[in-house]
Amino acid sequence: MTGRPELDHVLPLTTTVFHVLVALASEPRHGYAIAQEVEALTEGRISMGPGTLYGSLQRMTDRGLISEAENPGEDGRHAERRRYYRITPLGEAALRAESERLLRAVTVAQERMGT
Amino acid sequence: MTARHDRIRRLYRRLLTLYPADFRERYEADLLQVFDDRRRERRFSGTWGGIRLVLFLLRDFLSSVPLAQERRTDHWVGTMMNDLIQDLRYALRMLVKNPVFTSAAVVTLALGIGLNAATFSAVNGLLLRPLPGARDPDRLVQLYRAWPGMEYGSNSIPHYQDLRDRTGDAFESVAAYNFTPMSVSADGRSDRIMGMMVSADFFQTYGVTPVLGRAFIPGEESVGPGSHPVAILGNGFWQERFGGDPAVVGRTLVLNGHPFEVVGVAPADFKGPVTFASIPVYVPLMMQMQIAPGQNLIESRGNNMMNVEARLRDGVTLQRAQQVVDATLAQLREELPDAYDDQVGTTIVRQGDAGIHPMFRSAQVGMSAVIMAVVLLLLLIACVNVANLFLARARERRREMGIRLSLGAGRLRVVRQLLTESLVFATLAGLAGLGLAHLAVGVLSNIRLPMDGPWHFGVEMDDRVLLFTLVVSLLTGILFGLAPALQAVKAEVVTAVKGESASQAGRSRMSSVLVVAQIALSLLLLVSSGLFLRSLQGATEIDPGFAEPANLVTASADPGLQGYDEARSRAFWDAVLQQVDALPGVQAAGLTDWLPLGVGGSDRGVTIPGYEFAEGELQSFIYGRVSEGFLEALGVRLIEGRTFNPQDDANGAPVIIVNQRMAEHFWPGQSALGKIVHTAGKDRQVIGVVANGKYRSLGEDPTDVMFLPERELSTSGLAIVARTSGDPQAVLRRIQQIVRAEDPDLPVFDVRTMEDHMGIALLPARLGGTVLGLFGVLGLVLAAVGIYGVMAYSVAQRSRELGIRVALGADRSRVLRLVLAEGLKLAAIGTVLGLVGAAAAARLVRGLLYNVSSLDPIAFAGVPLLLMGVAALAVYIPARRAAGVEPMRVLKSE
Repeated sequence: MTGRPELDHVLPLTTTVFHVLVALASEPRHGYAIAQEVEALTEGRISMGPGTLYGSLQRMTDRGLISEAENPGEDGRHAERRRYYRITPLGEAALRAESERLLRAVTVAQERMGT
Repeated sequence: MTARHDRIRRLYRRLLTLYPADFRERYEADLLQVFDDRRRERRFSGTWGGIRLVLFLLRDFLSSVPLAQERRTDHWVGTMMNDLIQDLRYALRMLVKNPVFTSAAVVTLALGIGLNAATFSAVNGLLLRPLPGARDPDRLVQLYRAWPGMEYGSNSIPHYQDLRDRTGDAFESVAAYNFTPMSVSADGRSDRIMGMMVSADFFQTYGVTPVLGRAFIPGEESVGPGSHPVAILGNGFWQERFGGDPAVVGRTLVLNGHPFEVVGVAPADFKGPVTFASIPVYVPLMMQMQIAPGQNLIESRGNNMMNVEARLRDGVTLQRAQQVVDATLAQLREELPDAYDDQVGTTIVRQGDAGIHPMFRSAQVGMSAVIMAVVLLLLLIACVNVANLFLARARERRREMGIRLSLGAGRLRVVRQLLTESLVFATLAGLAGLGLAHLAVGVLSNIRLPMDGPWHFGVEMDDRVLLFTLVVSLLTGILFGLAPALQAVKAEVVTAVKGESASQAGRSRMSSVLVVAQIALSLLLLVSSGLFLRSLQGATEIDPGFAEPANLVTASADPGLQGYDEARSRAFWDAVLQQVDALPGVQAAGLTDWLPLGVGGSDRGVTIPGYEFAEGELQSFIYGRVSEGFLEALGVRLIEGRTFNPQDDANGAPVIIVNQRMAEHFWPGQSALGKIVHTAGKDRQVIGVVANGKYRSLGEDPTDVMFLPERELSTSGLAIVARTSGDPQAVLRRIQQIVRAEDPDLPVFDVRTMEDHMGIALLPARLGGTVLGLFGVLGLVLAAVGIYGVMAYSVAQRSRELGIRVALGADRSRVLRLVLAEGLKLAAIGTVLGLVGAAAAARLVRGLLYNVSSLDPIAFAGVPLLLMGVAALAVYIPARRAAGVEPMRVLKSE
């Protein structure tokens, strides 16, 4: 559908995966920071416990959407223990494709409702 | 972080094993890290936050474990885990779908579980739990001197020292302690506290290391009496009085007028050697003459005031220890035949078995067992209620179960599904119950006894309480879930799917059983609490032997603690007594060293010329040293002779007053006046006989008691007692002013009316009565709701049948009578079973009841009538509705 077979494999994105990718789009973050960012992005609708969070991160890593990142080491005393994640090129492409799909859907919806 | 959070974290860490090994190995540190981050969030702090955190994690597990397990579905563990998770998710969905049902079931169970957890916390804290703060508490034992008729006698200091020095084969160390009143002055303020004199190896024996400074040094004791004015503070007192200031070590406190250097502070978890008090100050035993002047206890072998606690050597059994102490006693008897002639042995009690005091052990165990049994009954009633709710719901879900079975779900799987549901309910109820118990325990541990002292009940919710609650919740879940679950799968698939009522007979048999069980259990509970309430009422009607306790006031002081010598103490008390006696509104006043129905009281051995004591007969009786005016103030009736007058002092002839019971005991059928009692070192002539009273507890049997003249055997620690005709509180204030005018530094304590003082004697009955009364009301509500629910449900099940009968021309009122008769028959069976159980239970608790027959007619007739009334109403209302239904509607509804 997108013309890119590796993308067809990962699309459409679930809400959680979408928001995790958004959270990682600007900078690498560690697990708890991702959870907090997702919570902020969704106004608290998605609040991930530890298991859900790392379950998602593991699957997203397996599918190549994100990868583990170098620890920037600026996070105080816990810095060395935390695992950081960054978005991969595939993740970026998937996020872009999903955003465009959503935007198209929103545009159509708004046109039909006359807004 | 708080202990609760750490407990949640430990639990969380343990639950991580639910995840597949590879996931866990890879992410464990990160999962815990995120857990820590989460728990620092504001919404997860505090008690409610803790509950929210647990629920949050539960949801997290339910959604993430199956996903993480996906990779290993080929494995049977994975399959099972997925089934379980599926059951759990399904159960949670059912829970949310039916909020009314859920809250009814959860609240009912939570009450039952919460009460059980709270009661168990109390029993655990006072009786079961090893002494908090002590190392290896199972190696601690208490030693008592056994006398004829007395198994648990205290020890004297010289006797303790011999035990300590000669029992090294059995014990690592042996310690002695004794409560002792102290007035503490520091920073210009003085307080009266109840501290302890302890032997130098006290802290070593308990395996307790001070958090600040040092413990007492065992070598100090051999240096000799009075040479080490040092003190160790209890942690609570250190926090309260000195704000936890570490610089307190090295400071000087004035204890009973003597300077003592603070050398250490005890750790927070060690509150002292007993489970009911938190000790504020410890001083060395060798400072006895400074702390409690008067008698020299250090050299008096016959003065038994000390409790002795020993630590068993590793691997030494109780039998071996018994041999060692027996051998020591034999040696001592040989060396000091006069001092050891009477002692018949040494009693060893494990610290864990001692409770408050081994003497009260059976009463404590009895009372605790009764209360535990009552709360368990309450829980059973709650279970029956919930089982009934589930049964009613099972009917609604018959179709669903039928469909699941017809689609090939295994019966076992369906039963498991239903059991999982009830377990989820029970778990939720258990959590809510813990919350309730937490509140109740807060109330319990803040109970203030109506007497001065460092009382502190070690009631808290430790791991044992949590485990107990967990087990109770799970058993509860199985108990109320199993019957409806088995009932559900008995349903015939075809009829169930068609929506017809299947196995009608089976189900109504089940509800009949529930009706009978519900009524029998409720009856048992209510009759037992009724008996205790009647007993409380009975206790307040007991004649204590003195008049109108509300108009009797008392206040105590101990000038000896301020360093007064005997003459100064005498002058002080004379001045106080004279002024109080002259107060307007005071009819009579006197001094005493002992008030009946308090906690103290000592006894003295007697010999009576011409009376031969039988083998094992008690030769020692309670006595009070009282001044002129005391018996008049108390309002004790004089039967013959006279009471004391001011001339009964050390210069007068030795005299004694006895009570009627003692007079009849030794001189039956004759006047006791002029007879001789040898006690307190003299042959004393009986000058008066007074009416019997209650001296140690209101429930006691008549006891011999003697009164000795306080002016002859003076002591500095006394209470003044005054009978008032006006406002007792005003007189109490005046008494305090009078004492303060004599000496502003002297603490006055135990200032109250005799009625408040007697609160102590009534405490067991009052506490038991309040608790059981509360449980009784709760039980009545649960029982009424339950009986109504169970009855109404079983009638409602028959509404179709009743409709058909009416349609076929049966008379409505006859149908109504039929249903009523059947319902009441079940209620009657339940009542008979319950009465039999209650009569058996009443026999067991007979000894704990005051002034009440164990087959008290009010409890045994009133309660069944009440319950039958509820049952009749519960049958009548739905039956009338059923009989009034349009027959066609019932028939069409199928």
